[in-house]
Amino acid sequence: MQPDSREIEVAVLVSVGRHPVTGRARRADQDARGVEVALTLPGARVRLLHAGPADDGSEEALRGYLGMGLDRLTRVEQPEGADVVPALAQRLAAAPPQLVIAGSRAERGEGSGLLPYALAEYLGWPLVNGLAEVEGIENGVATLLQALPRGQRRRLQVRLPAIITVDGAAPMARQSAFGPARRARLESCAEVAVMDKALGEWTLMPARKRPKRLKIIKAGSARDRFKAAAAKAEGGGGQLLTDVTPEQGAEAILKLLKEEGVLR
Amino acid sequence: MRENMNDSIRRDPRRAWIARNRLHPEHLSVLAALGEIGGGGAASEWLGPNGVIRRNPHAIGFIGPKGVKRIDRSGTQQGGQAPGQGRQAAQDSRRAVTIEDPAFLVAVVPDMTGGRLSGHDRDLLGLARRLADADPARPGAVLAVIFGEHKDSTLGEAGIDRLLHLEDAAFTGFSPEARLAVLAAVEREFAPHHWLLPDSPLGGADLGRRLALSLDERPATGVWQIEADGEAPLGWRCTARGAAESLDIQRPLPRVALALAECAEPVDETRHSAEPLSLTIEPPRILSRIEDLGQVAVDPAGVALAEAEFILSGGNGVKDWDGFHHAATVLAATEGASRVAVDDGFMARDRQVGATGTWVTARVYMAVGISGAIQHLQGIQRCDKVVTINRDPGCDMIKRADLAVIGDAAEILAALVEQVEQQRAEQHGGVRRDAA
Amino acid sequence: MLDTLLPILIFTALALAVIGAWRRNRLWRQGRPSSVPILKGLAAMPRRYLVDLHHVVARDKVMSNTHVATAGGFVAAAVLMILVHGLGMGSSEVLGGVLGWVLLAASATMFVGSLFVAKRRRNPPARLSKGPWNRLWKSLMAFSLGVFLITLPTVGLLPEGFLEGSGGWILALGLAAVVAWGLGEMIVGMTWGGPMKHAFAGALHLAFHRRPERFSTKAGGEGRSTGLKALNLDDVDAPLGVEKPADFTWNQLLGFDACVQCGRCEAVCPAFAAGQPLNPKKLIQDMVVGMAGGSDAGYAGSPYPGKPVGEHQGSPQGPIVARQGQALVDAETLWSCTTCRACVEECPMMIEHVDAIVDMRRFLTLEHGNTPNKGAEVLGNLIATDNPGGFDPGSRLHWAADLDLPLMADVKQAEVLLWLGDGAFDMRNQRTLRALVKVLRAAEVDFAVLGNEERDSGDVARRLGDEATFQSLAKRNIATLAKYRFQRIVTCDPHSFHVLGNEYGELGGDYEVRHHSTFIAELYDTDRLTFSPWKGGSVTYHDPCYLGRYNGEYEAPRRVLRALGIQVAEMERSGSRSRCCGGGGGAPITDIPGKQRIPDMRMNDVKETGAELVAVGCPQCTAMFEGVVDASAEVRDIAEFVADALVDRPAAPVESRPRRPAVEEFCP
Repeated sequence: MQPDSREIEVAVLVSVGRHPVTGRARRADQDARGVEVALTLPGARVRLLHAGPADDGSEEALRGYLGMGLDRLTRVEQPEGADVVPALAQRLAAAPPQLVIAGSRAERGEGSGLLPYALAEYLGWPLVNGLAEVEGIENGVATLLQALPRGQRRRLQVRLPAIITVDGAAPMARQSAFGPARRARLESCAEVAVMDKALGEWTLMPARKRPKRLKIIKAGSARDRFKAAAAKAEGGGGQLLTDVTPEQGAEAILKLLKEEGVLR
Repeated sequence: MRENMNDSIRRDPRRAWIARNRLHPEHLSVLAALGEIGGGGAASEWLGPNGVIRRNPHAIGFIGPKGVKRIDRSGTQQGGQAPGQGRQAAQDSRRAVTIEDPAFLVAVVPDMTGGRLSGHDRDLLGLARRLADADPARPGAVLAVIFGEHKDSTLGEAGIDRLLHLEDAAFTGFSPEARLAVLAAVEREFAPHHWLLPDSPLGGADLGRRLALSLDERPATGVWQIEADGEAPLGWRCTARGAAESLDIQRPLPRVALALAECAEPVDETRHSAEPLSLTIEPPRILSRIEDLGQVAVDPAGVALAEAEFILSGGNGVKDWDGFHHAATVLAATEGASRVAVDDGFMARDRQVGATGTWVTARVYMAVGISGAIQHLQGIQRCDKVVTINRDPGCDMIKRADLAVIGDAAEILAALVEQVEQQRAEQHGGVRRDAA
Repeated sequence: MLDTLLPILIFTALALAVIGAWRRNRLWRQGRPSSVPILKGLAAMPRRYLVDLHHVVARDKVMSNTHVATAGGFVAAAVLMILVHGLGMGSSEVLGGVLGWVLLAASATMFVGSLFVAKRRRNPPARLSKGPWNRLWKSLMAFSLGVFLITLPTVGLLPEGFLEGSGGWILALGLAAVVAWGLGEMIVGMTWGGPMKHAFAGALHLAFHRRPERFSTKAGGEGRSTGLKALNLDDVDAPLGVEKPADFTWNQLLGFDACVQCGRCEAVCPAFAAGQPLNPKKLIQDMVVGMAGGSDAGYAGSPYPGKPVGEHQGSPQGPIVARQGQALVDAETLWSCTTCRACVEECPMMIEHVDAIVDMRRFLTLEHGNTPNKGAEVLGNLIATDNPGGFDPGSRLHWAADLDLPLMADVKQAEVLLWLGDGAFDMRNQRTLRALVKVLRAAEVDFAVLGNEERDSGDVARRLGDEATFQSLAKRNIATLAKYRFQRIVTCDPHSFHVLGNEYGELGGDYEVRHHSTFIAELYDTDRLTFSPWKGGSVTYHDPCYLGRYNGEYEAPRRVLRALGIQVAEMERSGSRSRCCGGGGGAPITDIPGKQRIPDMRMNDVKETGAELVAVGCPQCTAMFEGVVDASAEVRDIAEFVADALVDRPAAPVESRPRRPAVEEFCP
C-alpha cells in the first residue's frame, strides 16, 4: 500500500514515569506531552515505542499513553538495567520514521536526558530540544517553535528526519481514558540487550535535600547585614501611598515598572 | 570618649604597680581594665591567671547610631570605637591571581544569558576553580568559551583565567552545531582536563550533551556536588541528580560534567586575568541543518500565566473591566484574576491566580482591587515585585506589596495608561526628530 | 345510532392504543437489557402509585387533589365506558343502572378536576411546559363532558329517543366527535405520544423501576435507594457508561418517557437557578427525543439556560454528546449537575435524573477522556496519590501531630472508626476534625483512625464518571477496613458517609456508618455529653445534600443544635428541599460557568433568615460557603458548635451510670 505522501510517520518514545510525590509508576510527564504534540500534528501517523522490561507495573503506566487515543504500542523488551540506546536505535533504523519525538529526561533510572542525543548521533539526524509546538511539516521540512523562558518562542526549521525533544513547556498531555487504554494492544518484540555496566557500578540513593545556600552579605555592618537578611523575611517592607492623586500613584507605579524593565 | 573618662578616674597606685609588673598574675586583667592593650582601646581578651582566655564583653562592641551598644562578631567592626584607627573601607579586597603556566585547563562554557554571566554560570565557574585550584603545586587554569557579543566586565572576577571569545553571526540564536564545531576545535587544540557546562535547558544542557557524545564521553548530568577522591580516574567524585530529581547518583567525575545551579560557591575573593586566547586553527564551517528563523512575537495575553513576566491581575475591586483590559493591552501585561473575578464571570478560569488556580512567577505582579485571600497570596509568593492598587489600606495584599497605592483603581489605571502612552509618544517623537 | 358508533369508536381507540403500546415498547426495548421482576413489579405498581407517588404529589395540595379527581375520574370513567358503551352492559337489567350512574359520577369528577387543570393553565408557572400540555385541559373536558352526556340517556335522565330524529342525529354526531376527541387524546395519545403518555409509561415505569428498593413497603420503612450502581469493569466488552440513547437500560428509557414535564425538577435545580446550561426536565425530554430520533424543536418548556431550543438532535444509535460540535446534549450540560438529587426528590414520576447524568459522564470520562477543567488533574491525583489534591499520602495525619490519635494499625480494634476524609488535608476542615476529636474524647468514645492507610472514598472520582478509579479506591479501602474490627464508622464528611454506607456494599464492603451529627446526637441522648447554654446569636442550619436527601438524616443535626440550646431559624428551603451549596458531584472541579454562583444563592437564603451563623455538617459546604464574598453569616460545623459548648460532666453521674466495657460491644 502506497502511503499518502502527506502523511508523516511519527514515532514517540515513551518511558515508564514516576510520580514525584508517591513514586508510583505513571506515564512520564514529558513523554506524554510528546505524545500530545504528535497527536495534534495534522497528518501524523503516530506510533509509540518503549524499551524496557515487561512487567505489570510498567504495563499499567504504558497503557496511560494508549488511553490518549492510540491503538497500539510497541515494547522492545529489555532486561532491567540494560542500556536501551542500541536497541531503540536499531529499531528506529530498521523502520525509520520521519520524526522522532521524545521527552527530555526520563523519570526513572539515570534520567540523564542523553538518550535522544545518543539516538541522534547514532542515526545521524539533527536534534532540536525544548520544543513547544510543531507548526507544520512541508516538503520534508518541519517548522518548529522552541520554548524560551517567560513564554517566549523561537521559530526553527529543520530538515527531516529529525529528533525533537519536549519538556514542561510543551502543551499539557490530554487526559488518558480508561476504555481506549484497556482495549489497545501492547505488542512486544525482542532486540539484543546491552547491559549498562557503568550504571551498575555507581551508587544510587534517594535524593537528599540540597542544602539551602546561605545568603552571605560580606560588606557592611552587622546592622546592614541584619537589615538585608530581615528585609526579605518580612516580605518587602513595601511602600504604601495613601492620600495621593491618581496621577501621583500612577507615577510611582510607572517608576517601578520601568525599574524592573517590564515595560516595552 | 572612653579615654577622657579614664583620665578623670582617680589613680589607683596598686593597679598602676600591677600594670607595670608584667609578672604579676593580675597584670593582664588590670591592663584590660585600664584599657591599655590594643593601642588605646580597652582590651577585650586576655589570658587569665589559670591559663584560661578571659573576655570582657563590656570592652567590645560599639555604640550604635541609636545609642544602643552593638556587638559585631564578624570581625569587621565599625561604628567608631577607635576613631584613631580609621576604617578599612569597603575597598576591593580581592586578591589578584595570575596563572602563568597552568598544569591543565578546565574548560567552561557559560550560558551568557543576555550577554552576561548568569548566577548559574558563576556557580559553575566556582566549581571550575575548585577543580583548578585543588592542588596548589599544580595549578590549573579556567578557560571560558564564550559565544557572541558580551557585556560582562567582571569575567576575571568570576574566576576566568583564559578567555576564548568567539563572535560570529553563526553563533547567534539556536546554533548548537556551529558551537559544537568550536568546542571540538578547542578539544583538539587545548585538550582541557575537564569540560564543565551548566545543566540549564536551552543552554548548556543541550550543548553539553552534544559535546559529550561527540567526545565519546558519558557525561555526568545534574551534578550538584563534587568531592576529591583519589581512586577516581580524574581524582574527583561527584553527586548528580537523576530520575527527575528523585535520585542521587554518586560516581567518579567524568571529563564532561553538566552541573546544576548552586553546585559551588561563586568566586569572590580572587581576581583572575581572563587573558584572551584564540584558536590557531579556524573551526570548520558547518552547514547547519537547523535554521533559526528568530524569535516570534508573542501576544502577552496568550502567554501562560505561570510563565508570564508581568501580570496585571484584577479582583473584586475592579469595577471598570473595559478600562482594566485596555490597561493590560497598553502595558503589554498578561491578564490574571482573583477567584472572585473569575467566579463572577469577568475573567476566564485559566486566568485565575492562586493556590486553587495558577501559581505564578512574574517579575512584576500588579494586583488591582484584590484584597489578598491566603490562597491568592500563596499563588504569588514566587513573584519578585508586587504592586497593588486598592481601596482598603488594611488588607493583606498591602502587607505583601512592594508598592501599594490606595485609591480608585479605575482612575489610577487610567492615569497610568495616559502616562505610558504619553511617554511612548515622546519616545516616538524623539526618534522621528532624530531621523529628520 | 350512538349505540353502534360508540363501540366502534371505543374499540378502534383501544386497538390503536394497543398498536401504539407495542410501538412504544419497541422504542424502550432499544435499551440494554435489565432484569426486572415483571409480575412482582406489576403487582407492586398500585401501591407505588398510590403511596409513594402520591406522597410526592401531595406536597402540592391543590395539584394533588386535582390529580386525584382527574386521574381517578378518568380511570373509572374509561373502564366503565368500555363496559357500558363498548360492551353495552348499560342496558343489562341487573347492573345497568348502577354502572351508568357511577359512570356519570366518575365523568363529573373528572370534569371538576379538568376545571382545576384549566385554571392552572391560565397563569402557568414558568416551570410548566406549554405546547401540547396547554390543550390537555380541553381534551380532559371533552372526554369527561362527552362521556357524561352520552351516559345521560343510558341512565334514563334523557329519553332513549332523544338522540333520534334529524336534530338528534346532528347532536349525536357532535357528541360522537367530542367523545372521539377525548378518546384520541386520552386513550390513543397515551401510547402514541402526547401529554397522556405519562400515564401509560408512568405506570409501567413504577412497575419496572430500576430502583425497586426506593419504594416503601407495607412492612414500613420509607424506602431509600440513592447509591450509584457499579459498572462491570471485569468484562472487557461491557460498555463504559452511556454513549447513545440505546445504551441506557430499557427501564431507564421507559422512565424518561414517563416525564409529565411538570418542571418541579427545574424549579429546584441549583444549576438551572444559577444560569448554568442544565435543566433536568429538558434533559429528560432530550433523552426521549434521542430514543425516538429527531430534533428537540418540539420541546415547549424552559430551555437549558443560554442554549436555544431546536439546535440539537439525536437518534437512538447516535451519540448523545459529540466529540466535536453538537449532538443531542452538550457536555457542559452534563457537567453542570451537582448531583444534589433535588430533582429526583421532587419528581412525581420517580425519574432518576442523577443516575442518567452519571451514566453519560462515565462515557465522557472513561471513553472520551474528556473531563473538563480541573477534572483530569483531580482524577490524575486520585490515581497517583489517593487524594484529589495531590498531597503526599503520608502526610494525611500531619494536622493531628499533637493529638496523638490512636491508629487502627496499633490498636487493631475500636468501637468507632473515625473516617477523616480528604478534609484532613484542608486547613479549614482540620478545625472541624479537631473539634470532633475533642467531642469524642469528652464523651470517652473508644475510637481510632486509619491514618495514612485511609484513601479518598472515591466519591469525587465516581461522580466525575471515573468508575475505574472509584472501584480501585473502594476495593483498596475495603481491603484496609477488613483488617480491623470496629462497630461503626463515624465521619464528618457526608460524601464519605454516603459512599461508605451506600456504595461500598455492592463491592463487598458493608459497614454501619454514622454522620458525626447523628453520632453526637446519640452520645447526647445517652448522657455522655453535657453542654453549656448557647450565648451566641441566631443560627440557621444548611442540610447537606449527601446527608439529607441521600441519607434521610434531617433530624439529628437539628437535635444536636437544640441540645445546645440553639433555636434554628430555618431557611425557606430546608430539609428535603434544601438548596445545594454547589460543591457536590465534582461541580467545583468541572466548574461550568453560569450567571451566578450556587453558594452565593445559598448564602442569600441564609441572609434572609437574618442568622449570624450557619451551621453545616459537610466540608464541601463549608468550603463553598466560606468562598462567598461579603457573606452575612459565619460558617461553622456542627462539631465546632458542640466542641465549643462542652463542659466537664459532674463526676457523680458518670459513676452512677456505668459504661459498658468496650469489649462487650463487639458482635462476635
